Amino acid sequence: MTIDWPILSLIVFSPLLGAAVLLAMPKQRARMLRWTAIAATLLPLALSVWLYADYDPNRPGDAYEEKAEWINIPLEKSATGIEGTFELHFDYALSLDGLSLPLVLLTTVTAAMAALASTTIRKRWKSYYIWLLILECGMLGVFLARDLLLFFIFFEMTMIPMVFLIGIWGLLDRERAATRFLLYNGLGSALMLIAFVILIMTAGFSLEDAGGVFNYSYSGSYETILSNLADPQAYANMAAPGSVNPLYLSDGMRTALFVMLLIAFGIKLPVFPFHTWMLDVHREAPAPVVMIHSGILLKMGAYGLIRFGIFAFPEEADRFRAVLAVLGVISLLYGAVIAFRHKELRLVLAYSSLSHMGIVLLGLASLNEIGMQGAVFQLVSHGLISALMFLLIGSIYERTGTTNIDELGGLAKAAPFLSGALLIGGLASLGLPGLSGFVGELLALLGLFDTNKTVVSIAVIGIILTAVYVLRAVMATTFGPLKPKLEGITDARFTEALPTAVLLAFVLLLGIYPSFITELMKHSFDSLLNHLNTRVGG
Amino acid sequence: MAYSESAWLIPLFPLAAFLLLTAWGRGFRRWAPIVGAAGSLGSLVLSILVMAEGVDYRDRINWIKIDGLSLSLGYEVTHLTSLMLVIVSLVSLLVCVYSAGYMKNDERITVFYGYVSLFVFSMLGLVLSDNMLMLYLFWELVGVCSFLLVGFWYHKPEAKAAAKKAFIVTRIGDAGLLLAVLLLFWYMPNHALDFAGIQNVFHGQSGAVDDGITTLIALLVFMGAVGKSGQFPLHVWLPDAMEGPTPISALIHAATMVAAGVFLIARTFVLFEASPAAMDTVAYVGAFTALFAATIALAQHDVKRILAYSTISQLGYMMLALGVGSMTGAIFHLMTHAFFKALLFLAAGSIIHAAHKQDIRELGGLGSRMRVTSILFGIGALALSGIPPFSGFWSKDAILSAALDHNPVLFVAGLLGALLTSLYMARLYFRVFAGKPSAASEGAHESPAVMLIPMIVLAVLAVVAGFADTPWNEWLSGWLLGGEPSAHDSSSPTVMIVSAAVSLLGLYIGWLAYVKKTIRPASVTEAMPGLSKWLERGYRIDDLFASVIVKPYRMLGTGAKLFDRYVVDGVVRLTAGAASGLGRMTAALQNGQVQTYGIAAVLGLIVIIVVMAGRRFWS
Repeated sequence: MTIDWPILSLIVFSPLLGAAVLLAMPKQRARMLRWTAIAATLLPLALSVWLYADYDPNRPGDAYEEKAEWINIPLEKSATGIEGTFELHFDYALSLDGLSLPLVLLTTVTAAMAALASTTIRKRWKSYYIWLLILECGMLGVFLARDLLLFFIFFEMTMIPMVFLIGIWGLLDRERAATRFLLYNGLGSALMLIAFVILIMTAGFSLEDAGGVFNYSYSGSYETILSNLADPQAYANMAAPGSVNPLYLSDGMRTALFVMLLIAFGIKLPVFPFHTWMLDVHREAPAPVVMIHSGILLKMGAYGLIRFGIFAFPEEADRFRAVLAVLGVISLLYGAVIAFRHKELRLVLAYSSLSHMGIVLLGLASLNEIGMQGAVFQLVSHGLISALMFLLIGSIYERTGTTNIDELGGLAKAAPFLSGALLIGGLASLGLPGLSGFVGELLALLGLFDTNKTVVSIAVIGIILTAVYVLRAVMATTFGPLKPKLEGITDARFTEALPTAVLLAFVLLLGIYPSFITELMKHSFDSLLNHLNTRVGG
Repeated sequence: MAYSESAWLIPLFPLAAFLLLTAWGRGFRRWAPIVGAAGSLGSLVLSILVMAEGVDYRDRINWIKIDGLSLSLGYEVTHLTSLMLVIVSLVSLLVCVYSAGYMKNDERITVFYGYVSLFVFSMLGLVLSDNMLMLYLFWELVGVCSFLLVGFWYHKPEAKAAAKKAFIVTRIGDAGLLLAVLLLFWYMPNHALDFAGIQNVFHGQSGAVDDGITTLIALLVFMGAVGKSGQFPLHVWLPDAMEGPTPISALIHAATMVAAGVFLIARTFVLFEASPAAMDTVAYVGAFTALFAATIALAQHDVKRILAYSTISQLGYMMLALGVGSMTGAIFHLMTHAFFKALLFLAAGSIIHAAHKQDIRELGGLGSRMRVTSILFGIGALALSGIPPFSGFWSKDAILSAALDHNPVLFVAGLLGALLTSLYMARLYFRVFAGKPSAASEGAHESPAVMLIPMIVLAVLAVVAGFADTPWNEWLSGWLLGGEPSAHDSSSPTVMIVSAAVSLLGLYIGWLAYVKKTIRPASVTEAMPGLSKWLERGYRIDDLFASVIVKPYRMLGTGAKLFDRYVVDGVVRLTAGAASGLGRMTAALQNGQVQTYGIAAVLGLIVIIVVMAGRRFWS
């Protein structure tokens, strides 16, 4: 089906539409603000569901592309001695492929559920919801942008709302957590920016033959950069002859760029040892914000790593696969071991995220179709599960005033629905078949096992350790005798039960019918794998 | 053909029951047993039809398809699987009926039947699976159902601990099984994971898979079986699992799920036959477990724990049978054990229901109060002890004669185990039913018919099931092997006589000790107090694991937590501190005094000059 309206742009900016409406509303009207905000998140959700229905993985090229000229800066050309134009330009370019679509769906679903769950927010609703919607716009933009500058702007755009959401609506130590979040992530962004600038000034070069006159340009176009990097000789020859070829990327430089991107996105992922910043966020931010943070924002790290690290630098990724695998297995086990000793449920889940993102790295390290799909599946699955877990933890905190397992216990008696959902979420998290967690884990390990049996054999210990810490945390909360202090707490309300049920339904759906997502990714890794096969094989 | 083709429907009856019970919730109490039992009944009827038809059939669909490689879901009817289907659905149905009486007053009876139905679905799915991955899927699901049901009375701290332990200990085995699946996927031709493919590749040692890898895969599969079937050293979860409701102990922890490990090995038997080393491992671990658990059973006081250790021991016998190459003997014993052990657990439930006690020191003289239960329990005990003509005799005889063919050491171990078995059963039976009623037994009364009838059905089966495979009628072996003559199981009369004599001897000693009281068992305890304490605690294996694994792991966790806080995050904070320190230092330079700036400018100029001058020398 072809359409003539820009659906990708609509998805990305529809939350801002909601934000604009909110802006015009009186700030005391909590209910009105809340339902408007919820409606505003349903809009991109509906559009992305429509996209899902329409998406055909077999169609060659990206399914949807939207492009418009955005920034054009003429450069000083007298020094180069060329005719025609010489400019730096950036396009507004959005595009959708099988890698973006699952994450876009994850974003719209999770954001809508987080908006629903935001009833626990008790102050300054208006600005809260506006920041939330701006955040959603940024996240959607990240997953769809195909221009380096545009991507960077969306990436940064997620940071500012987060700082306010943590700093204003967080718990006791919120301001410190917000600052730390900003600084640490800013560091990653700086590295990313340096890498991007170098890429734009080298592989971003292109030359256009306009009837005998050559137009030279540097651009942030993802497409240009990817094709130039894939064929470095061809584009290096395009440079005006001279003593030093400014376009040439030496092997050392390529490696350096890959490592910079690995660290930049590794911070966001997070990967050991760059994970400590997120502990404060998990501990201090309000539950719906952590739903988004743990459910979606962390996934931007893995997405960026795949899109800009691995896709752009396949050979370097191939050389670093052992590093990726080892980092993955360390994150997996290290996170699981520490999660076992924390009494604060939020921190247990924070380390659990570290551990589960380790599995993503294991899948990526395989550099084969099964493992890569497993990694992306794991991203979506973990996003749903951790959104669910933080939703429930928010509900528990609201009722009991604590998330310390020493002060909890026996909730199954007083709140069977919440407890049952927590147990299912825990089982999904420890990789029970039939729930989504199992599939990502299985595919990632299956893919990596082909090339790295040692690491997988160690990683399998992870499935035992995960069961140990998950059951400890969940059972300490819900099993056992009900603590006298907790007598009389109530079960889930409608605004909690609905998002819980929706997230559970997705967890179950993906667990039983994984093709729901894997079919989308059918050809997403084709060019990467073809490239690797010809390099390695020929 | 028609019934085998629709075999995929078999697990769906209990699944439907589960969904119905879950959707309906607690307002559905009166109907819960009926819905649960109806689910199992549907499965039983179709299973019997499928088995009677006796036609092999399989079919499958794609589950995940990636890059031309497909992971599929499928079902396969073979003689082995159809027999298992009947056993599982039959015991499930009987337990569902029994629980209508036993769980009558529990306020969460709907949840109970929901979990049971989910379990029956998963177990039937496991049996029907046509490939290793799908089996692993259901393998985990039965595990989680077991976890939920052990922890059914979630408010009891013991139940909570037992459930957690059951899940984690079996997960250790599952990790091995997962690795076996991964190995199979990458080493099998065409990445085939289905049992038919495994059969083709390993049958007749085609050499398609390296011998070392074959042994590794077989051992990893066995590791899974060790966890699920409570073999040493992963047996520790099973006695604790007795915290669950007693019907669950009968269904999951005696008749069906714990036998899944035996079924798994029987299902992949060619893989084991291709590796002598793996076979020996299975045989020795099995024989050791059989003997080891029987000695512990002698020193237990809790009715259910005695039966639990007995289950571990009997599963050891099945493993022993597999290890010496008698797949038919193992499945035969699996079947008879399912009947008599389920019977024993249900009868134990009947006792607990009546006397509200399960410690044999507080029970006694129940025979006069609960005549039917005592007779039924007696039948189960005789079958378990291997007294002819009860079913256990025939299946144990099949195992012992196969062991004798293979290795006399294993035979002797099995025989010794048989002696201990009849001894601990005699102890259990006489302490509970003989003599004068104790205080707890005083008010006991016979259980209602809804509980007795399932037990009577099982008792009949416990008596007659043995005739499925006797030296003069090898129907079961023929059925399982599809007409191939069984090489191993031709039992010699000597073995039969010896094993029967040994079992009777055990009973006789028990009778002397606990009825005639001519032997004083207490004198053994008094002579060796350390030993009996040690036995009572199950050789303190739990303590060993606690100090060798659990405690060090806790310490590792605490260490890692501190490392993370002070080293990993410490470096981060140090870097941040250094940066802001540098900032403060340079900020201090900007003090607005022209003299400072002047000095800085001069110093800078000097540096530049030195550098410029230096370059001439270097280049």
